[in-house]
Amino acid sequence: MPVADSAAPLLSVEDVHKSFGATKVLVDFNLTLQAGEMLSLLGPSGCGKTTLLRLIAGLEQADKGKIALDGNAVDGHRSWIRPEDRQVGMVFQDWALFPHLDVAGNVGYGVPRRQRIEEVAKTLELVNLPGMQERTPDTLSGGQQQRVALARAIAPKPKVLLLDEPFSNLDAALRREVRSEVRELLRDADMTAVFVTHDREEALALGDRVAVMDAGRIVQTGSPSEVYHHPATPWVAAFVGAVSMYPAEAAGSTAETDFGPVPLIEPRQGPVEVAVRPEDVDLRAAEGERATHTVENFEFQGADAVVTVANPNGIRLRVRVSGTQSFSSGDRVAPSYIGPPAVAFDRS
Amino acid sequence: MRSPTIHSPALLKVAAIVVTVGFAFPAGYLVWRNFTFHSDPLGVLFSHRTQGPLLRTLRLAVLVSASTAVFGTAQAWLTTRCDVPLKRTWQALLPLPLVFPTFIGAAALIRTLNPGGLLSDWLDNLGLVWDVEIRGLFGAWLALTLFTYPYVYLPVAARLRRLPGSAEETARLLGDSPLTVIRRVVLPQTATAISAGALLVFLYAISDFGAVQLMRYDTLSRAIYTTRLNNQPVSMALSVILLVLAAAVVLIERGATRRYEHAAPVRSRSPVVYRMGRAKPIAVAFLAGAVALALLGPMASLADWTIDGIRLEASGGRDLLVGWDDVWSPTWNTAYGSLLAAVVSVALVLPAAYLVVRHRSRIGTVANAMIVSAFALPGILIGLALLFWTLKTDVGSHLRNTLVLLVFAYMVRFGGQTMRTSQVAVAAVSSRLTDAARTLGARWVRRFRSLELPLMAPGLLAGGGLVMLSVMKELPITLLIAPFDFPTLTTKAFNSIEEAFVAEAGIWSGVLVVLSAVLTWIFVVRRADHFD
Repeated sequence: MPVADSAAPLLSVEDVHKSFGATKVLVDFNLTLQAGEMLSLLGPSGCGKTTLLRLIAGLEQADKGKIALDGNAVDGHRSWIRPEDRQVGMVFQDWALFPHLDVAGNVGYGVPRRQRIEEVAKTLELVNLPGMQERTPDTLSGGQQQRVALARAIAPKPKVLLLDEPFSNLDAALRREVRSEVRELLRDADMTAVFVTHDREEALALGDRVAVMDAGRIVQTGSPSEVYHHPATPWVAAFVGAVSMYPAEAAGSTAETDFGPVPLIEPRQGPVEVAVRPEDVDLRAAEGERATHTVENFEFQGADAVVTVANPNGIRLRVRVSGTQSFSSGDRVAPSYIGPPAVAFDRS
Repeated sequence: MRSPTIHSPALLKVAAIVVTVGFAFPAGYLVWRNFTFHSDPLGVLFSHRTQGPLLRTLRLAVLVSASTAVFGTAQAWLTTRCDVPLKRTWQALLPLPLVFPTFIGAAALIRTLNPGGLLSDWLDNLGLVWDVEIRGLFGAWLALTLFTYPYVYLPVAARLRRLPGSAEETARLLGDSPLTVIRRVVLPQTATAISAGALLVFLYAISDFGAVQLMRYDTLSRAIYTTRLNNQPVSMALSVILLVLAAAVVLIERGATRRYEHAAPVRSRSPVVYRMGRAKPIAVAFLAGAVALALLGPMASLADWTIDGIRLEASGGRDLLVGWDDVWSPTWNTAYGSLLAAVVSVALVLPAAYLVVRHRSRIGTVANAMIVSAFALPGILIGLALLFWTLKTDVGSHLRNTLVLLVFAYMVRFGGQTMRTSQVAVAAVSSRLTDAARTLGARWVRRFRSLELPLMAPGLLAGGGLVMLSVMKELPITLLIAPFDFPTLTTKAFNSIEEAFVAEAGIWSGVLVVLSAVLTWIFVVRRADHFD
């Protein structure tokens, strides 16, 4: 993880409010970003992610609060810097390539005239599209357009790069490929970036840090593995990955369930719910008293399979097993917890 | 509230307000003048001096819009849905009568069909006598029908091309006969296009001056023209009555478009084709008749006049007044005046279009309504209002006989035509693109020049083209307020026709028709689908 916490943040968003009419989009919003850091902003559609990016870029103005870039207020009590003067780059969801300009015209749009030819060539090299200067956007594939949009945004060397769901217009197979490519590229360019998505896999794969948003607030920030393994709320637990909330009786650092003990990250006492990820459970066929659960559903997915099992009270547990294992509805089974210490929440 | 993306720049608002006032000025001046003149429009309205012209105007407009609705719809249906031969040719020829200003068309009809014209010459050779005189209501109706039906044909054909054939096929499968399908499925879906076109024709008919002047049919606009010099109070009162009539039509149009429903813009790959069977020859004769009367006949008679004149001159008769220089200057004036009017209209309407589309501003809505309604203002009223203004006021007298005044009048008359194309053009520039340009550091001048203008160019050009075409054919404004040293093709042609200099009339009209044919082809026929 680059840059110590003691350094002044490159970007800070403090107590920002934003409403459109009666709809509160951002409420008391706070966020800081260190130079060189890549932050994934993960949240469901309509949670205010895009509005946040537009506020940082200056395409919207905050109702209250302060945004500072590189130590200077750009939006706040008495200050307002126009988007054209902020040096914030943005990659739009639909890429927003200028249809009447060729690739060179697009990529060079934000570069001073004198350096344009040279910078365009260098940036196209960087995004792996060398020599494409004279192509027009409509002759490019989706992936190429995406890279042109990225090149256009980074060519003027912005202080921060904002990416608004940049891969959502690509098909699934291409998305993974482009995603890791973009990560490498931004890392090499030492770019500070905020990356907005509603796709948890994308968010976890791309960010040094992940901020999970819901209804205009940040619910949790942390490293991808922290957010996944130590979610702050049941909602976060469910939003960043498949999870079963299973009733248990906590006694210190373990909680007792009807399929055995589950270790806890933090000691608890009394009735709780533990967040159990499907891959943290092992499943075996069993008979008699050792069989605590019954298979309800078996879903084959290739490399692995997801099995839904239920205890006699109908409480369900989702389990991921290897694709070579096979179960059928009605099979008697015995799950057991094999994962790392889990999080416990109060019973809802 | 601080919100830079929604707030509209003050400059745009000021521009829109100034332009709106400009568009409202001629009509406002007419009304105001009536009060200060004590010309008593209500008194005049109920005198028989007015009732005649008013009734004649209404009678003509109703007849013409009814006949164009029927003919235009029939032509559209035949050329888009039936198995008539030479479909492409008909589709290209049918809109072309738009190139004739109605006074040229009317003159051609008079000289061709009346005794002593081409037709009676031919019939003479066959030993037949033709003594039907085409004048008055019948003449005006015929001329207006022949030269305005494309206003119905174009939108209806565009709509029919967009209607998915699947609805008609479904109706057939459910047991309807072809005629029932037309009544139950096709007509309801094209009704808005037909009525919009017919209403446009109605507006055209009440404001037409050229055809009624030549056919000597005394409608309001002709009565206004003939009384303008010796009886100004009556002329003014008649103008207000015509103004109210035009305003009423616009209000009806507003009410009608509110109920406008968009047909799903589906372009069916293989539209339904109705087999005409034994009716085919009748359909072809109908289409051929329309093209012959509205297009080939007038063109032939223009050529005939010119050739006659040249032949006479060659055989030692009267010298033609036209040399190369004489042709060049009115042609240049027509092209220059209409281009200027187009550029000014596009530039001045654009701020209002921005306000409406980008900023959803109230000022924009008002400006839009004013600019678009001014399109209904008959040219004769604009010409008359501005003429009196330059004659009666000190401020106005500075503008008497200037090109500025003429271009302003053209803009008020036709600027509304650019409103829709301009709005479409503005809407075509997605705000994402301007946002992207802003994050790349481009200020508004650069954004406008490098991004918005190139992207809007096709739409703005189309709007400007429509204005050019209309201005070229415009008669009453040009007659009333064009500077004396600024002869145009329309004034030259009109004066030659009125003074029966047939050969000159043929030449001026011919040049005008060729010029406007080129523009019609570029801006109307090629873009016919956009009329829906």
